[in-house]
Amino acid sequence: MNDQIGQNAAARPQQGVSFAQTRGAPQALAPGRAMLSLRGLDFYYGANHALKNISIDFPEQRVTGLIGPSGCGKSTLLRVMNRMYDLYPGQRATGEVLLDGQNIIAPGTDTNALRSRVGMVFQKPTPFPMSIFDNVAFGVRLHESLDRAAMEARIEDALRRVALWAEVKDRLRAPAAALSGGQQQRLCIARTIATRPEVILLDEPTSALDPISTARIEELLDELKVEFTIAIVTHNLQQAARCADQVAFFYMGELVEVAPADRLFTAPREKRTQDYITGRFG
Amino acid sequence: MDATPAGGRAGTRKVDTGLGGKLGDQLFAGIAWAAGIVVLLLIVGIILVMLVGGSHALQVFGVGFLTHAVWNPVVDHYGAAAPVFGTLVTSFIGLLVAVPLAFGVAFFLTEMAPGWLSQPVGTAVELLAAVPSIIFGMWGFFVIVPVMAQDVQPALIDTIGHAPIIGRLFSGAPFGTGLLTGGLILAVMITPFIAAVMRDVFNSMPAVLKESAYGLGSTRWEVMRKVVMPWSRVAVSGGIMLGLGRALGETMAITFVIGNSNRIGASLFAPGNTIASLIALEFPESPAGSLKLSALLALGLILMVISFITLACSRLLLRQRGN
Repeated sequence: MNDQIGQNAAARPQQGVSFAQTRGAPQALAPGRAMLSLRGLDFYYGANHALKNISIDFPEQRVTGLIGPSGCGKSTLLRVMNRMYDLYPGQRATGEVLLDGQNIIAPGTDTNALRSRVGMVFQKPTPFPMSIFDNVAFGVRLHESLDRAAMEARIEDALRRVALWAEVKDRLRAPAAALSGGQQQRLCIARTIATRPEVILLDEPTSALDPISTARIEELLDELKVEFTIAIVTHNLQQAARCADQVAFFYMGELVEVAPADRLFTAPREKRTQDYITGRFG
Repeated sequence: MDATPAGGRAGTRKVDTGLGGKLGDQLFAGIAWAAGIVVLLLIVGIILVMLVGGSHALQVFGVGFLTHAVWNPVVDHYGAAAPVFGTLVTSFIGLLVAVPLAFGVAFFLTEMAPGWLSQPVGTAVELLAAVPSIIFGMWGFFVIVPVMAQDVQPALIDTIGHAPIIGRLFSGAPFGTGLLTGGLILAVMITPFIAAVMRDVFNSMPAVLKESAYGLGSTRWEVMRKVVMPWSRVAVSGGIMLGLGRALGETMAITFVIGNSNRIGASLFAPGNTIASLIALEFPESPAGSLKLSALLALGLILMVISFITLACSRLLLRQRGN
């Protein structure tokens, strides 16, 4: 039965892929320098082996999409790359996560400095209980002491880049909680890029947003990747096809396949990838 | 029993009462109604007793009862100012010490303590809250008072005692007892209450909000000060008010260490008195119908009013957080 389904799927590869063509079809990814390289990474929640021997490169100035069914380990992977797992006892990683050649999961890494280089945006907007201005300034103030003019310029720049400036420039001192969900999420992205990280990790950043807000954030990714290395976890395959240059498919804690987005969605090499992108499971 | 309004009301409803049957349901409704009404009657009754009993003293002394510091049973002249002053000062000292301490405990428990330590420390905090106040009184008298007299107070006199203005707070003879010692005992007693509320509030903060702050490269202290504290400000204030309410009414622990003197002085080392402590000490020597007994009941009324205001504030603050 299963085989039959597999064959059917293989017989019409176009079905799972049609959306991939909406993208401006970049040709084979010119492999930029790998900003982040994972080598033989294993991750454990206590006794649970959540990531198994993962090796993958995140090229500079590219968007890497991480897809896979719930619980496959893609969000966990993000939490390794900024060592967010450090906050919780019983979680540990082995192997190598090289940021610019330096293994950041080695003991002795300054996690505060690391997190200023590897920013993160979460599934739900997480504005802090303070003004719009202070939200964006939050991370900057932690790591740099700018004078007022420089700080204001930095805030404006960050808000412009997420296309929020026009909407909030007259009420920078208003509480961030007063913004709409989509605005809050763009604010959180502004907050992340204001600290000028090298890598931005996005954990399903649009899953709580309406379609218009989602489209704006997807456009934003295209502009941001000129400067940042981006990793985005998404449940939405169309989104991965639209935004990502390279897509990695995870299943049960394993990296099944990683390939340029158009290749992965049009001609996956692994049967499990094929089944997933054609909607056989997940 | 059937004549209670509850019985009648439950009877008119068509409710399938299952095993208990109709009679059981009426009985249960009656008991529940009675329990609710009893509480209401109790509080009204207590307030009435204080009001009626204290009215004699309030009529004799008028508003002066609140402002006079004299408490002289020999000439039958009574004023509430000294014990009210002592109550407020000791409670204030208690909060001044307890709030940072409780904050440290809560922060440690929620953010820093390794698993094997957070459980014992958490339990210790809860046990501390369960220690009867008379134990704190004896412990204060036998342990804290000598330490205060021999070490702490002389050291304070020699150092900040010489400072301008605030030096007066730390002057006088180091007896060991007094307002400062009373405040410190109160601090130990209310810390677990405040810490418990703070811990719950910190724990109820969405993890992802904290992670966002950590994700920008914040240290633990920065996360606490800039994100957790603004977020939990209101609820934490409610917890502090709860502790204050307990401090205001505390009797036995304070009676042991405060010195029991109805005076208002600048020095925190001077013996003082609190409302609750004064009532406990003088009540046995107040014959029925005397002006002194009436004055004590009026004092009780004042204490209740202060406590109600505190409770109302804490309720208000805790409720705001729900919205």
